[in-house]
Amino acid sequence: MSMPAPLPPMSQPATAPVLRVRGLHKSFDRREVLRGIDWDVPAGRVIGLLGRNGAGKTTLLRCLLGLSPVDAGTVALFGEPMTEPGGERMHRIGFVPQTFDLFPWMKVRAYLDFTAAFYAGWNHALAARLLGDWQLDPKQKIGELSQGQRQKLAIVRAIAPGPDLLVLDEPVASLDPQARRAFMAELLELMQAPGKTVIFSTHITADLERADADITLLRDGAIRFTRPLGELRERMKRVVLARAEGWTQAPAVAGLLKATLKDREAQLLVEDPLTDSLRALAEREGASLRIEQPTLEDLFVELA
Amino acid sequence: MRAVGQLWLLSFRHAPLAAALLQLMWLAGATALASVPWTGIAAASIAAVLLGSGIWLWSMLLGMDLRGLCQPDSLLLPGFRRRLAWTGLLHLLQWVLLPTALGLLLGVPHALLAGALVLLLGAFGLASGSERYLNLLVWALFVLAGWKPGLATQAALVLAASPWAVPLALLLAALLLRLALRDLLRVEDRQIDSSPLENTQLGRSRSADGAPARRGAVGRRLLRLFDATAQRAMARALARYRARPSALRRMVLVRRLLLPHDNPQAIALRLLLVAALVSFYVVAVMHRQHFDAVMVGAYAILLGLARFPRLGQGMRRMRPNLADLYLTLAPATRADYQKTLTDALLVLVPITALTTVAYTALGIVLTHATAPWRMLLDALVVGAAASLVALAVHLIGPEGRLGRALVDIAVTLGAMVTYWGGYWLLGALGYALGGGALALVTLSFGIAVWLAAQREYQHRPPCFDAPLA
Repeated sequence: MSMPAPLPPMSQPATAPVLRVRGLHKSFDRREVLRGIDWDVPAGRVIGLLGRNGAGKTTLLRCLLGLSPVDAGTVALFGEPMTEPGGERMHRIGFVPQTFDLFPWMKVRAYLDFTAAFYAGWNHALAARLLGDWQLDPKQKIGELSQGQRQKLAIVRAIAPGPDLLVLDEPVASLDPQARRAFMAELLELMQAPGKTVIFSTHITADLERADADITLLRDGAIRFTRPLGELRERMKRVVLARAEGWTQAPAVAGLLKATLKDREAQLLVEDPLTDSLRALAEREGASLRIEQPTLEDLFVELA
Repeated sequence: MRAVGQLWLLSFRHAPLAAALLQLMWLAGATALASVPWTGIAAASIAAVLLGSGIWLWSMLLGMDLRGLCQPDSLLLPGFRRRLAWTGLLHLLQWVLLPTALGLLLGVPHALLAGALVLLLGAFGLASGSERYLNLLVWALFVLAGWKPGLATQAALVLAASPWAVPLALLLAALLLRLALRDLLRVEDRQIDSSPLENTQLGRSRSADGAPARRGAVGRRLLRLFDATAQRAMARALARYRARPSALRRMVLVRRLLLPHDNPQAIALRLLLVAALVSFYVVAVMHRQHFDAVMVGAYAILLGLARFPRLGQGMRRMRPNLADLYLTLAPATRADYQKTLTDALLVLVPITALTTVAYTALGIVLTHATAPWRMLLDALVVGAAASLVALAVHLIGPEGRLGRALVDIAVTLGAMVTYWGGYWLLGALGYALGGGALALVTLSFGIAVWLAAQREYQHRPPCFDAPLA
């Protein structure tokens, strides 16, 4: 078995990125979580941040917004350095944290009134509609809401100001399927407006597929790649070579990212496979050849 | 301005009664000040007292609210700091600038100095309310003053008459405000508690909104130290259980899980820390002045019982996690599981009783108490009985914040009064008779309350729901 090889970086967009990260390092008690992150996020895209549990997705998102102090490196949001959250630039940012623990004694309505007072462009109609659609009782205390209901409230809070950049940390983890679909519909509607950018971490790859997101993979504290989903689908193939005597080592194939040897099969994740070379290899090794299209979830499992 | 208004309303939403009372206090103070031309200068003193104590309490309330509000997520609100500053200016205008201006207008003597001192009190209240160690700086002043009281009085009088008094008070207030607010508005990573049932923050707890309190470098180091002892104790308990499984060793494992900081090393460390603080307080602040023996023991009881409110609160917060323990233990009946919990927590009774005795012994040494054995015996008996009662009421007592607070006050005051009664009884009837009577009355009461609570707790079905706000 071989470890996944790094993918080449995506070509840089012509427009100035909404977010630019350079050499970002972050440690907790001498345990390095982020190891020199370099990342550009162009405007007008949905970015799905993927990574295993503990890969540092939440830490990265918090560092981007200045919610967690960084050890080294720079973050620029909308072209300005981001050291601490604050200022009018925050009008353009919406954030849904993984857990929402603010003001358990406050009622939903009072909380939204409180938050709305800070935003010039707060969309009261949208907030009211989402409360109704998601069956959130404005008279209920936040502390009495379930985890999923709090998540919904956090999403309402983040979407209602109509932000240019929406950062969501596992936004759908606690949502029921109806609310998840409704949330995705809102997200896609939000993306209809020009220049809107969404970064969200999730393990539900189906949502990323629905949003046609660019996929960013975080592994071992570094961004391994950022690629449009369509490009990933087009270029990544699973090549299965099967022969009776099985395989003791992975066959050498150009563009090999990961190899798994199982019973009689060698399952190879290959970028831009050369079909003619593969056919020749199969013939030479006396093996059958099968080229499959992996799902995004398969890719995540293989590469993360 | 809407955001400033919302920020100003926060205290009224969180604690409407307290906020309304304090606003009434301001109104009364302002009225007293305005009435000076008719009622004379005495009204100005009343106004100063009302406004001074009012701003101190009001800013403590603000500090508590700010602890809940100044979470990293709030800092994402546009212009949060600027709007917070405007809100602060409104409070300043109401409590300091307007009354001072009125005082100056009416020709009240020392109006400017009084205004500066009111501001200083406000800054101190904010630092206390936001639970910064900063408020300990004030104690440092008392320590210095206590060493030479005559000199301190002289200095205070000279300072009051000096033209530097006002700028000095303003400077000190600005410094306190800056330090308190800087910590509140600083973005930092928060550490979670080791267990909801434990508290290594020496009195500092979670904010009013339930968010973990901020820990300084010393606090984080201490927590790591306590956690290291917990790890070692758990590893030892596991090794013993694996070597020879028994019901007793299984119970030790449950205790190590529920009460990670109640292993011998952690208890010794806690005693050492409290001893250091108490010694500093008695020697440096109180200058080893004479203490009544009954006061020493009562303080020891107070310190010993201080952990039970945390236990009551923690048991509720811990409910969802206890489902894991329930599945691991796989009890035959739900009552068995409840009994396992009560048996595990019962270890707090000897720990509290012995801790109370240790604190009393420390008090005896520090104050050169004349009847040490009488105090120790009294502390042991009352400490054991009081911890039984405290444990019982926190297991089955009220869930609401007010109910819990009332129960805490009743148990603590009851235990202190019992200690005083016990001390008198031991003096009047002697160790054998008095001690026997004290033990009979207090312990039988404590055991009866505990048994009743235990029975009630075992009848209740286990609850794994997260507590409501």
